[in-house]
Amino acid sequence: MSGDPSALDALLENPRVWRGHNQARATAGLSSGYPALDRCLPGGGWPVHSLSEILLENYGIGELELLMPALASLAGVAAASQTGAESNNAVNHEQPGWIAWIAPPFQPYPPALEQWRIDLSRLLIVHPRNADEVLWSAEQALSSGTCGAVLLWSAQLDDQSGRRLQLAAEKARSWAVAFRPLRARHEPSAAALRIALEAGAEGTDLSILKSRGGRPAVLKRFFKPDAQALSRHYAHSADRP
Amino acid sequence: MRRTRKQPAIQWEDGPTPASARTAIVTRAPNTTQYHLPLEAALPAGRSPDARAPESGQLWFCVYLPELPLEAIPVAQAESGGARVLFEEQRGIQRVLLADPSARAAGIAAGQSANAALALKPDIELIERSKLCEQQALETLACWLERFSSRVSIAGPDVLVLEIAGSLRLFGGLRALRRQIAQGLDAQRFTAGLAIAPTPLSATWLARDGRRACIRNAANLMPALRGLSLYCLDWPVATCRALKGMGIQNLGDCFRLPREGLVRRFGSRLLMQLDQAVGRLPDPRTVWRAPERFSALHDMTAEQSDRDLLLAICRSLLERHERFLLMRQQGTQQIQLKLFHLRAAATVLSVGGADVERSAEHWFDLLKIRFEQFRLPEPVIAVRLEGGQPRLLGGRSAGFEFGRRPVRSVTYSMRQLAERLTARMGEEAVYGVRTLAEHRPQCAWRRETALAESSHAQGAPVLLQRPLWLLPEPEVLSVREGHPWYEGPLHLLSGPERLETGWWDSDGISRDYYRARNPRGLTLWVFRVRERRADSESWYLQGYFG
Repeated sequence: MSGDPSALDALLENPRVWRGHNQARATAGLSSGYPALDRCLPGGGWPVHSLSEILLENYGIGELELLMPALASLAGVAAASQTGAESNNAVNHEQPGWIAWIAPPFQPYPPALEQWRIDLSRLLIVHPRNADEVLWSAEQALSSGTCGAVLLWSAQLDDQSGRRLQLAAEKARSWAVAFRPLRARHEPSAAALRIALEAGAEGTDLSILKSRGGRPAVLKRFFKPDAQALSRHYAHSADRP
Repeated sequence: MRRTRKQPAIQWEDGPTPASARTAIVTRAPNTTQYHLPLEAALPAGRSPDARAPESGQLWFCVYLPELPLEAIPVAQAESGGARVLFEEQRGIQRVLLADPSARAAGIAAGQSANAALALKPDIELIERSKLCEQQALETLACWLERFSSRVSIAGPDVLVLEIAGSLRLFGGLRALRRQIAQGLDAQRFTAGLAIAPTPLSATWLARDGRRACIRNAANLMPALRGLSLYCLDWPVATCRALKGMGIQNLGDCFRLPREGLVRRFGSRLLMQLDQAVGRLPDPRTVWRAPERFSALHDMTAEQSDRDLLLAICRSLLERHERFLLMRQQGTQQIQLKLFHLRAAATVLSVGGADVERSAEHWFDLLKIRFEQFRLPEPVIAVRLEGGQPRLLGGRSAGFEFGRRPVRSVTYSMRQLAERLTARMGEEAVYGVRTLAEHRPQCAWRRETALAESSHAQGAPVLLQRPLWLLPEPEVLSVREGHPWYEGPLHLLSGPERLETGWWDSDGISRDYYRARNPRGLTLWVFRVRERRADSESWYLQGYFG
């Protein structure tokens, strides 16, 4: 037994040694706009360079509201003008912050998106014909490197395709969000974050099933039936300087 | 060396005309008094006012391709080692027209029958002459020659002439320009006779005669032309024979003939050509222009249905397309691929639409995606690639961002992504959106097929309750005990918001909208149709607050 501290450093630098807390610190999250949720997520927000899964039974329980503040900061009107001001002297050829919607179950309603201050000109909606094409489109969108976020809806997303999406998201440093049915909660998944949304009469409960570098948590009545998330979002954004 | 016969050295002629030069050629049309005199006598002896001025300042470069019929046929990869013999059917007999050096070494010569050639060397590759191939090869060469001069013209089935007086300075003088053209032709595996002369016709004749002449000064033209044989003039054989019978051996003898008699015997065309050759008559040439749009055909010898092979053909066509656009500094937004079948109408595939592009790689990627989704109805016999309207390709210069690395590696732009997705799933499946100033929920937005380059102006958002999900069509809700029902009785959270509009067209609405919640926790956007008869209450579901 030697007391050489460098031996420990060398050991820790070995890629085979997994260090839970460090990994999460490495990537700062994108604030979700919901302080209660941000507190539970390891990077202080959405892990934007990886795949997140949202598991739910029915649409219309706040699953988009959950993402909207984060998406608005990625591809919002404010975000666009901000980057424009920054890149006045240096021409910015890359246009990050596109949002691709792949196989949405209904029509995303543009006036509502605009109310959330999402720049509609940076929206791409894709309706693939089958599950294979959903995966292909999502991979294409992720690997293009221009999408800030890729949202996809798929009933059949197996472990292997999840892993492929996760890899593509990591490689392109882009955020993939997969909406899956609640019954998939017991299946293994490569996603960095898995969130289940369960609606009840009292409101929608949010449970973090898996969070890389964090711990599972349950947020009861995350969306309350009478709450008006949109006006709260505006109140919040008005506070900002 | 590809050339077999020994070529004479290039007859360079440099420097200004000596003041004592006796002959000078005038660009004027001959007047009538001159017309009756013999040609030689017609030339005034050093007293013409423009005698010292170089005649009209033109200099013509002629490229004569004696073996074009054989060289235009692409070499088949497998049999590239064998001897190639080109035949043409003349009065029912297949006669050898041209033979390559290794076939000539075996004793095969032009004029033999194809069977005789086969008897001399059984392993020759017999190729039928294709005038289409010759024409295409000639046009490709004309296209290539356009880089040396803006005045290139096709002067015959195997002759190209270009005016180079204006290009001499740019290309570093006559010798350098001649060397560049000669090397370029050699690299493209064409056997060419080159000649330079002040008039296009004299350059053509000199090149045809196999003289590597380079005559810059009009005064030296006549002596050079005098020795030319009659057979290099492209005159009818009967004319040449008749002239031979008259004891005329070369062009110099021809010039000595009385003009009037020449016209009476052989027609005025001959005399006109003689005059044009020496620069006495103007010789305008039609300038060849490359077509503005790319179009190329690939013919196959047999029907093919192998995708990889077709893709390889497309790739070579796309590379030609890229070179075509590169020369013009242009790109195109769309390309069209036509696949011809023997027993069915041609299949047309068009790809692109978003970005102006020229790189073969980009178009090939799109075509590959398109091919994956596409079922060939029939084997393919020919492929034609047609480029779209050429557009200016905007150049981009890199920014001066020292030390700052790009955050993400952009492999292709959003438009390219949309293009790829469209190529696989069709135009309907990929779109953007925008809002419209309209109260009716169905009409308040629109699909945008072309992705907008910049964000369009947005008004201040109206703080009305609008759902994030919209149903394609409103869904009828059942009503139980006076309550609208969706998997349970609906509890109205807010509303009504009355929309009564659109009376001016057939799609007018009069509705009260509510935000409602069902016992399972879904937040819905429902409406009640306001009707005159109060007894019937009809409720509809229009969207979800996702």
